[in-house]
Amino acid sequence: MTDTLQRPAQDIAPQTSDDASDAVAERWLDTQSPQRPQVTPTFIVEIDGRQLTGRIGQTILEVCRDHGIEVPTLCYEPKLPGFGACRMCVVEVEGEDTPPISCSRAAEPGMVVSTQTKRLRQIRKTNLELIFSDHNAYCLPPCQNKCPSHIDIPGFLKANTEGNWFESARIFKRTIPFPSVLGRVCPAPCEEHCRRDEVEEAIAIRDSHRYAGDQVLKAQAAGTRAPVPFEIQAASGRRVAVIGSGPTGMAAAYYLAIAGHEVTVFERDPAPGGMLRYGIPQYRLPKVEVLEGEYEAAYQLGVKVVTNTALGRDFTIDDLQNQGFDSVVVAIGCYNTNKLGVPGEDGIGVIDGLEYLRVATLGLPYPEHAGKRVVVIGGGFTSMDCARTSVRQGAAEVTLVYRRDMKDMPAANEVHEMLEEGARAIFQAAPTRVVTDDDNRVTGVEFQRMALGAPDESGRRRPEPVAGTEFIIECDRVLLAIGQGPDLNWLERGAEGLSATRNRRLAADAVTFATGRPGVFATGDVRIGASTVVQAIAEGRRAAYAVDAYLKGNDLDEIRTRQTLAEPQPEFLSIVPYTGEVKEPRYRLTAMEPEVRNSSYVEYEIPYTQADAMAESRRCLQCTCEAIGYCDLRRQGIEYGTTLRTLEPQSGGAFSFRSVTENRFTGANHDYIRDDSHAFILREPSRCIDCGRCANVCKEIVGAACYDFMRTGFDTLVTTPLDMSLNTTPCVSCGRCAETCPTGALMPKPRVLEKYDVDESRCILCGICVDACPYDALRCGPDFELSREDRSEPMIDLMAISAMDRITEGTLIREERDWLARAQDKGRSLPVGKLLPMLPPGVTSTANGNGHGNGHAHHHDNGHATNLGLAAGRGPQGQAGGHGDTSGPTGGQGH
Amino acid sequence: MRVLPGVRNAPSVLLARLDRYDPDAGRQAAEDAGAWRTWRQVGTTSSPQQIIRLVGEAGLRGRGGAGHSTAEKWRAAAEIQAEERYLVANGFEADPGAQLDRTLMERDPHLVLEGVAIAAYAIGARRAYICVKAGAQGVIHRLQAAIEASEEGGLLGPDALGSGFDLDVEVVGVPGGFVVGEETVLLRALENKRAQPEQRPPYPSRKGLWGRPTVVNNVETLAALPWLLANGPAAYAGIGDVAMPGTTLVQVTGAVGTPGIVEVPTGMPIGSIVDELAGGVRKGSRLKAVLVGGPSGSFLPPDQLGVGYSAAALGAHGAVMGSGTVVALDEDICLFDMATLLQRFLSDESCGKTIPCRIGVRRLYEIGARAVAGLARPTDPQLLLDLAADVRDGGMCGLERLAPNSFLSGMTYFGQEFEDHFVRRRCPAGVCTQLGQSALSVQTA
Repeated sequence: MTDTLQRPAQDIAPQTSDDASDAVAERWLDTQSPQRPQVTPTFIVEIDGRQLTGRIGQTILEVCRDHGIEVPTLCYEPKLPGFGACRMCVVEVEGEDTPPISCSRAAEPGMVVSTQTKRLRQIRKTNLELIFSDHNAYCLPPCQNKCPSHIDIPGFLKANTEGNWFESARIFKRTIPFPSVLGRVCPAPCEEHCRRDEVEEAIAIRDSHRYAGDQVLKAQAAGTRAPVPFEIQAASGRRVAVIGSGPTGMAAAYYLAIAGHEVTVFERDPAPGGMLRYGIPQYRLPKVEVLEGEYEAAYQLGVKVVTNTALGRDFTIDDLQNQGFDSVVVAIGCYNTNKLGVPGEDGIGVIDGLEYLRVATLGLPYPEHAGKRVVVIGGGFTSMDCARTSVRQGAAEVTLVYRRDMKDMPAANEVHEMLEEGARAIFQAAPTRVVTDDDNRVTGVEFQRMALGAPDESGRRRPEPVAGTEFIIECDRVLLAIGQGPDLNWLERGAEGLSATRNRRLAADAVTFATGRPGVFATGDVRIGASTVVQAIAEGRRAAYAVDAYLKGNDLDEIRTRQTLAEPQPEFLSIVPYTGEVKEPRYRLTAMEPEVRNSSYVEYEIPYTQADAMAESRRCLQCTCEAIGYCDLRRQGIEYGTTLRTLEPQSGGAFSFRSVTENRFTGANHDYIRDDSHAFILREPSRCIDCGRCANVCKEIVGAACYDFMRTGFDTLVTTPLDMSLNTTPCVSCGRCAETCPTGALMPKPRVLEKYDVDESRCILCGICVDACPYDALRCGPDFELSREDRSEPMIDLMAISAMDRITEGTLIREERDWLARAQDKGRSLPVGKLLPMLPPGVTSTANGNGHGNGHAHHHDNGHATNLGLAAGRGPQGQAGGHGDTSGPTGGQGH
Repeated sequence: MRVLPGVRNAPSVLLARLDRYDPDAGRQAAEDAGAWRTWRQVGTTSSPQQIIRLVGEAGLRGRGGAGHSTAEKWRAAAEIQAEERYLVANGFEADPGAQLDRTLMERDPHLVLEGVAIAAYAIGARRAYICVKAGAQGVIHRLQAAIEASEEGGLLGPDALGSGFDLDVEVVGVPGGFVVGEETVLLRALENKRAQPEQRPPYPSRKGLWGRPTVVNNVETLAALPWLLANGPAAYAGIGDVAMPGTTLVQVTGAVGTPGIVEVPTGMPIGSIVDELAGGVRKGSRLKAVLVGGPSGSFLPPDQLGVGYSAAALGAHGAVMGSGTVVALDEDICLFDMATLLQRFLSDESCGKTIPCRIGVRRLYEIGARAVAGLARPTDPQLLLDLAADVRDGGMCGLERLAPNSFLSGMTYFGQEFEDHFVRRRCPAGVCTQLGQSALSVQTA
């Protein structure tokens, strides 16, 4: 049928060069006469209102690219004609109803083209959304996505599985300098989104980095230097003042020091640490062992801390800049507790929760706290710390009251521990007045029940008072923990150019952290209001990058663009759950008994053993994409309205960034199996967008044709013939497919370097390894038999190699040294002598293969086998050169 | 399929010789019945330019569905400098229910061949391919026999008619599904490449088979040529709709009295075709709608059946001639269910090349399937319209661009029924039983 079709002869017959045409070519080449310059006729075409010059034969897309107009493409491969599968390069041409695609449409004189109209962006956006609706892959794993600081979680867990705690901590420190501190105080928003949860239970991510961090701290205590995440830059000669030594300030100082700047941190209190030291009790975060140990890593980088020096009291911003600091980072945090705003608030016994904690963390019992009835108002971490510390200080009765539901508490996961320790909790009640006696002493608090109304902007249901439900809790002390704001009184003096926002925060850009005053940056709680430690550290790190860019003289607007693209991690779709994994429940940290811990400030969680820590990390599914950073799909997804509008955290919801607009088309999608059988190219078909570039490049440029479209309809996939391993194709390992792939579906495989063990007895001295080695690590020795042979067709040899990788007897031999014994156990009789004449004589008998293997290993021990120039005079192996008859199945294929 | 008598006293351009000779009886029998006369005449006395001019004057437009001017296509191909040109007669007839082209090729193969010879001569193609479905053995055998006989008679082959014009005609059974009906797909399939469309322009008339100028004409278009040239362009232009003159074949099926294929002048109202030629609506049935144009066609309600059967008139009603079929649907049929089914068919038949087709058409189907299952989301009707617009404007070939037709026409003319599915979650026809409250259950309750 179609086979019988006659094609034009020219298409089939290769161009043969005869002697005559060679002679003509020769003459052409030898001619020295000046050639007339080749000029392609040009014309003018209007694109986006610009009059541009195009050459005859160019497509609209080529003209655009020549003039720096970016038209998005996914399937376009510059070396090949337009393909038209992705439909991203649509443009509008005046006078045409439907927009043509610019990669296939020739530009014509006088054409009027627009590349960025609303309609085009809509079509492109729909296309991207459609792609994402069947793109069963993550840019970043959801855990990393949800982490405010975007820690490389799969990365450090991988290091953990190898027991490489220093590497693990180093990876962690790339985004957060304090793995052990965060391992104790982080609310772990990452774990809520862990995909392992779809198998059985989320990974204990926080406990895992805590273990790694603790190992580093132990080593540090023994005198080892802490790991540094990046190469320390040469001293820049610039000086930076950081005001505040809390998590934000110290994180900023840490990364600025690595960037080569001289950093001085100013601290109001007698010791550095900010809220970490004065806001979080000892039982959650040991000060000496953990906090000071991790801060030590910053001091090792040259960060200096000046304590007992407060902004506004001891110095002003003016002073710092006059002292020659090139840049000032304000990270003073939030220390002013909010007021209740109800009558009786000034009664004796109403205490600021932070003030209370501050005394407690200094190791002092708060005056006359024992035996008192205490009411704690609030639902955040501070309220929890107040309640649990009160229990430890012997309060007779501790009651925590929160106005919303328990699941809406920022510190919800700590509630059960608090209850275990003996405190009470009351939800959906808000104070209406503090009851005092005649001496203005607190005797109780009157509360009103709250009903939950419609969800507010934080996504939580808004509490609404219910009339007539007032009740009184009798107490002696009221601890207020209903949030904090920053102290901004220092703005009045020596801080010209800085200002406060409407809701009393220090005004600064969300991306560049620049304030109204050049060189002065604001970051952390003082900018965004009281938040979590991890959020604060993320602020500090990002501010450090901005300050570094400023000090290097970069354009801050450009930094904003770059950071906006680099920082947000769009979440594209919820993907099908894992089902095939073997279930292995989470390794939990155990806690001390409540009766023991409620009277002690000792850290109450019992850390992992090394085996547990490694096993827990091994549960990670490693759902990450290696192509992040150079994926066109992701870049365009961000550009076409799928990006976060700002980097601001969602108001109210403490941990979540606003995510991408929801995909309208979520529906059936494909989950394909990864093919990592090939030595150099990793195939992840779930990330394939069917653009066909690999297929076209492989067929048209390389000539190997390893890929093509398979199946039809929605199930179409660009893959290898019959979806088989890439090893079964005529792949020449050139890597062009991975190079052209716009996503992470085809990637150069990350190579784990191992020491290779050469089995000389099986070497047939074909020399292919010598030909293929890109770094000349293998060379022909003087006695190498094949070195005389002409190897002018290396591609065919490579194809022979790929053929050899199929499951053949040869593969079995390579994989299993005792293959013969096994085969015979199964009742297979193999005429070894006939099949594989290159085998050494020892194997042809029925003697077991192990003996041979051991003998072989012996050779390596002697250190002989490092070079392949080994043919002559090496005993039995030397005779393996019998491949010269090429009578073996593998030997025969190459020729 | 039965061939029905056409409009009384109207000229029969395409089916005049049908059953007047035995297709297996050889060339002479066909010639005795009148075949090849036009070719013998124009092949020896007219120049290619003259033929193109005459066809242009007759206003002949393609019958493959899109309705492009045949003469313009020919002229474009003939004007380009090329060492080789091709004529491809598209008899693939992608719509699995349509048998129009097949009827022509099987029962009057010499008519199609004569048309092929004239067209090839007009554009200067020395090679012509008649593409049919790979499995259509009957058609292939008849055409092959006819080609051999014609070559023996000197009508085709080297130095045809002794005029020095070589013409090699070949029947090719092309494997593949619905999408192969698209001309660029057909050409790729002919080249033994994967059956995927390519962006037009460049049109095949500039850059077609193996990169050479290629005219792709539907066999029905070609079959009109002998009559057109024998009777003159004025006679042809006088038939039917002025914008698309001539006659065309329609296959009328479904709830009609006498289903079959009928030749009608273009522009004849669909209602008249059904009532006067196809025996009217079947007894006991009430006409609910007609599906015009096959799987990527549109639904038209009974009160819109005054629309003339021609590309322009149907286009004004959001419909296409498509595969040339008209299916009468009675009240038992749920149009929403049927539209969903058609989306599923088109999605499965997609070659998977472009994103709007591979995923977009699938999502159209899913929107329908959700509603059929009673799981429609409140945003779905708007989503359907938005997606349909983007698929139509962003798509590459006819399959995806026309795919939303059934939904769009349904929403236009049968808004109540579609709203019932989307919003009220009931199926008036009682077909979508998965819906929580079908009409039946409401009645019994």
